[in-house]
Amino acid sequence: MTNLTLAIPSKGRLMEQTTDMFARAGLVVRKVGHVRGYRGEIEGLPGIDVAYVSSGEIAEALKSGSVHLGITGEDLIRENISDAATRIRFLQKLGFGFADVVVAVPACWLDVTTVAELEEIALPFRRQHGRWPRVATKYINLTRRFFGSKGFGDYRIIESAGATEGAPSSGMAELIVDITTTGETLRANGLKILDDGVILKSQANLFATNAAAWTPDLEALRAELSDRLANSIPSKATVR
Amino acid sequence: MTAETVQNLEVLAAQAQTLMSVFTKAGYDAVAPAIIQPADVFLDVIGENLRARTYVFTDQDGAELCLRPDITVPTCRLHLERHADPMTPARYCYNGPAFRFQPQGATAAHPREFRQAGIERFGDKSREAAEAETVSVILKGIEKVGFKDWTLKLGDLGLFSSVLDAAGLSPNWKKRLDDAFLRPLSFREALKGFATGVRGASSGVPDEVLSAMRRDDREASEAAVAVYLEEEAIELIGTRTLSDITEHLIGIAEDRKEKPLDNRAIDLIARYVGVSGSAITAGEKISALIKSAPNGSGYALETYDRRLALLANAGIDLDRVTFAAEFGRTLAYYTGFVFEVSAPSLDPKSPLAGGGRYDGLMRAAGSGADVPAVGAAIHSERLLAATGGKSP
Repeated sequence: MTNLTLAIPSKGRLMEQTTDMFARAGLVVRKVGHVRGYRGEIEGLPGIDVAYVSSGEIAEALKSGSVHLGITGEDLIRENISDAATRIRFLQKLGFGFADVVVAVPACWLDVTTVAELEEIALPFRRQHGRWPRVATKYINLTRRFFGSKGFGDYRIIESAGATEGAPSSGMAELIVDITTTGETLRANGLKILDDGVILKSQANLFATNAAAWTPDLEALRAELSDRLANSIPSKATVR
Repeated sequence: MTAETVQNLEVLAAQAQTLMSVFTKAGYDAVAPAIIQPADVFLDVIGENLRARTYVFTDQDGAELCLRPDITVPTCRLHLERHADPMTPARYCYNGPAFRFQPQGATAAHPREFRQAGIERFGDKSREAAEAETVSVILKGIEKVGFKDWTLKLGDLGLFSSVLDAAGLSPNWKKRLDDAFLRPLSFREALKGFATGVRGASSGVPDEVLSAMRRDDREASEAAVAVYLEEEAIELIGTRTLSDITEHLIGIAEDRKEKPLDNRAIDLIARYVGVSGSAITAGEKISALIKSAPNGSGYALETYDRRLALLANAGIDLDRVTFAAEFGRTLAYYTGFVFEVSAPSLDPKSPLAGGGRYDGLMRAAGSGADVPAVGAAIHSERLLAATGGKSP
């Protein structure tokens, strides 16, 4: 019988919170083999292989079906899989890893509080500076889809791998699309969120791929894991 | 994908040769602009929506390049290289591949690599004559290849402006509606919101700042913005200056004072946007609409009628020509007249050819000023399909 493969974040805050959640459910996730390796197992739940994968690559693994289940942020799934609703099953919100994907502009733009007002400044900006306003982000697809749904196309995306919040003050871009939890980092960088600029309220989820073959045995294992985890998820996870 | 068999390649090549000979005989210079183009010009012209469909890449030196998503912009760049004065009249024709990412997957009707045969003419002073001739040369090419069963659809983005003039709107209202017209996604919603004022209650701009804005005293207005920022401990960061921000705030403050759009104007706009059908009767309908409006004038319709008369003179049967007021709103860079040639046997969303006027494009390509420009391109694979894949 094939084992069920579960991908969990290999580092950072998301990994710690995942491990904590398993602990609250009375499950111990343990590495197999070398301590620096990337494979593990869940004590008491035989038949499940754990793969430690970076949270961004978990979306790719689910997309291709090389793992059955994965724990990662909804933002990364929505960004990396354009037809997520058909390829991925959203099994459970996990109550951690909260992050809002937002449109943020310099706080000194008193004249811009909505996407409509952002659209108004695009043409004058172009007349003044010879180009459309630039949006720094690593969420290229979410940004395009969000602005596209509002009929706004007069901007240019600048890909940003990190420290996106600094792009407006350093002159790399005029505004950003990025994740925020408390808004503190945005404020510290002189930015504010547009009134209608929340693109996605994201948190960590347990996801299942539709791309892999699901046998009744695998489904049973998945159900067992879901049941065990359900008790350890704070109730606000579903409220949010 | 189309053109992957040798037979199709040969047929396509023969078709292209026929089209190019029609174009060159009509006085267009054959040119072959580069397939790989600097991404900047395209991305600045087309905005992010078409960028999502353009193949953009970085070369070994870090330069941002793209596979041309059309041949019009490259032809504009070629014209600027040839002529120090961009207003120099010139006519070009071309045939070659263009490339677009197809988000739903590449199909025969929407391939990622397709051939365009087209014409562009710059610097013409007689506008309607240039437009009518462009249509007639394209139709001549299509017929020469052996396809006679075409239909022609016209649009005119400039007409809306004339309708607004006729409605007697304030400059502020006119500008707002003109901008909104090009964004059909939000147009209906905007029109609804406009019934209560230029700007709905949506804006979160602080009232104390808005009340201090004076068009006739920019200095005081800027000072008020600076004081507010200071009091709120907001740092001025980014590319936009205090003056840029103040200018927009003055506009927002003026919007607040503007009288709501009256019902007659809303009705006129809604009725104009709904005009669609035979080009002759559509012209009569629009003419009646404009005459019934407070500031009605016949000027815009003169251009409409002159264009139709020129098309008829060129031997085009006006019974096969339709007009739709909304047509052209979603096309990338057109500024006035637009047209599309379709085949009844093909999906109406996949026209055989399309084109129009794009006076602003040369400026975006670096000319420093608007240049009169009209052009059109034939989608070669679709034309081949319409003719049944046979060589003419």
